[in-house]
Amino acid sequence: MQPFAFSTLPIDTARGRKALADPACGGYATFEGWVRDHNEGRAVRHLEYEAYAALAEREGERIVAEAVAKYGVQHAACIHRIGDLALGEMAVWVGVSSRHRAEAFAACRYIIDEVKHRVPIWKKEHYVDGDSGWVNCERCAQPGEHQGHAGRTHAHPHGHAAMTPSHAAPDFSRQIALPEVGAAGQQRLRAGSVLVIGAGGLGVPVLQYLAAAGVGRIGIVDGDVVEASNLHRQPLYGVADIGKAKAAVAAARLRELNPEPTFAVHAERAGADNLVDWLSRYDLVVDCSDNFATKFTVNDAAVILGKPAVFASVYQYEGQLQVYLPRDDWPCLRCLWPEAPRDGLVGNCAQAGVLGPVPAALGAMQAMQALKILLGLQVESAPALHVFDLLGMHWRTLKAARNPACDHSPRDLQSDAIDPAVLELEYASLAAALASDLTLVDIRESWERARDDPAGQIEWHLPLSEFLQGSTALPPEGRYLIVCAHGVRSLALAVHLRSLGYAAVYSLAGGLAAVDA
Amino acid sequence: MKKITLQYFAVLREQAGCSEERLETAAATPAELYEEVRARHGFTLPLSMLRVAVNEEFRDWSSPLEASDRVVFIPPVAGG
Repeated sequence: MQPFAFSTLPIDTARGRKALADPACGGYATFEGWVRDHNEGRAVRHLEYEAYAALAEREGERIVAEAVAKYGVQHAACIHRIGDLALGEMAVWVGVSSRHRAEAFAACRYIIDEVKHRVPIWKKEHYVDGDSGWVNCERCAQPGEHQGHAGRTHAHPHGHAAMTPSHAAPDFSRQIALPEVGAAGQQRLRAGSVLVIGAGGLGVPVLQYLAAAGVGRIGIVDGDVVEASNLHRQPLYGVADIGKAKAAVAAARLRELNPEPTFAVHAERAGADNLVDWLSRYDLVVDCSDNFATKFTVNDAAVILGKPAVFASVYQYEGQLQVYLPRDDWPCLRCLWPEAPRDGLVGNCAQAGVLGPVPAALGAMQAMQALKILLGLQVESAPALHVFDLLGMHWRTLKAARNPACDHSPRDLQSDAIDPAVLELEYASLAAALASDLTLVDIRESWERARDDPAGQIEWHLPLSEFLQGSTALPPEGRYLIVCAHGVRSLALAVHLRSLGYAAVYSLAGGLAAVDA
Repeated sequence: MKKITLQYFAVLREQAGCSEERLETAAATPAELYEEVRARHGFTLPLSMLRVAVNEEFRDWSSPLEASDRVVFIPPVAGG
């Protein structure tokens, strides 16, 4: 029997069943679509189906062939009625026979979904009230759930779904045309795998361009959820995603872009305990994290495993880009920064602002470096830290050399087995904090104190910059509440002092901004 | 005295209020130069947290400074 046929006569299911019978098959699944008596709240009396037969049959046959190939079933067929149909009549029939039932069910479902979605059939509904109307089945169909891979939940706008046949796949011809890529390069990308740490401002473009380029396997590590304040620089997400796990949403969106790669979702924070294990399964890592602790852990994992790593960071209008290659002449992150910076101690307390295109530009460059590594192209002529200023439009390439003093070995960065949360104390007012048994230490810089708090309500003023310069003015046996403007620097300093052996150091949660003066 | 071009990034740019300046200095090394501008601009970061590049190459803080050198002080940044 034909894999796909139109029929003006009632469908003979017994004949279909006989045609699909096969002694090798242990299962047979069918679907029947019937004319029902209502649609979108209107009572229907009977229906007329009309098809553009030549085109429709070809598309129908393609769908059946796809189902056979995709699910490995033995036989499959579909018959669709055209003409006038009464209520209760069978409008469409799908039959699948296979060795096992699971494939039979799946292929059957695939065929009916795709037929409703892709085959140009129009339906004229005659309503009980005497009215009638043509409904394009493609337009009324739900988006094909089987487009590409399973797991799609994104709804297409009406009328657009039909424009993307489910067998559509990205066409890489425009990159294959490059002499440095070619068919062999495309094959390398498909065989390649990249672990991306962080699916934020940098990670979004990295993930999009790697998936779009046809990288075969992509790991997404991010323990955060989408927040409203992320969207301006992470346009892979939408307002409907707020509160959802970033890594999972990213994977779903990337599957829409290109269903072919395998996406591994790690919805947790990257750390010394999991990174080496994860990275061991990938060709390289792209660090798109937003903190020093993770960056140095990524560096250590890459050095241990001998895998390339592509780093970037942004600060307001600026970005830094650095690639680590596992070569004897190539510096690692610790060569450049022997003293790994502590999060919170560099920069200012106010949340640093950023314009979306800044991480986007840096992320796009990270994707470029990652693709070059996978393609086996020269990444750069010599190791360097690239520093970009997108406000002034300067790009400095600062040559970086291997540091002879660096042993490239991992160091336990967060010696704080200290949970920062227990160091934060909340007070309703400054007066309440002052009345506690803790000694308040204001670590704001002098200019901040002069500007915001000319009265200097906190007696002990010891600017953070003095601590960083090695001040030892704070006896370790005291009990302290560290105070700054917003509670970021104070918490970082409290963690730092605890690691130095201070037993009773706390941070005013939220800083002075959070308490009544 | 020698003429030097200085470039600032990230928090140093914020604190200096400019991304680039030219100055005449007697500083013999990048370390001396940093101390000089740190006092003037009120930089909060200690030298140990920064790196310095001279004429587009990373250098030691104690390497000699020459006339018309281009000096860049770079703090580490972590935003993503």
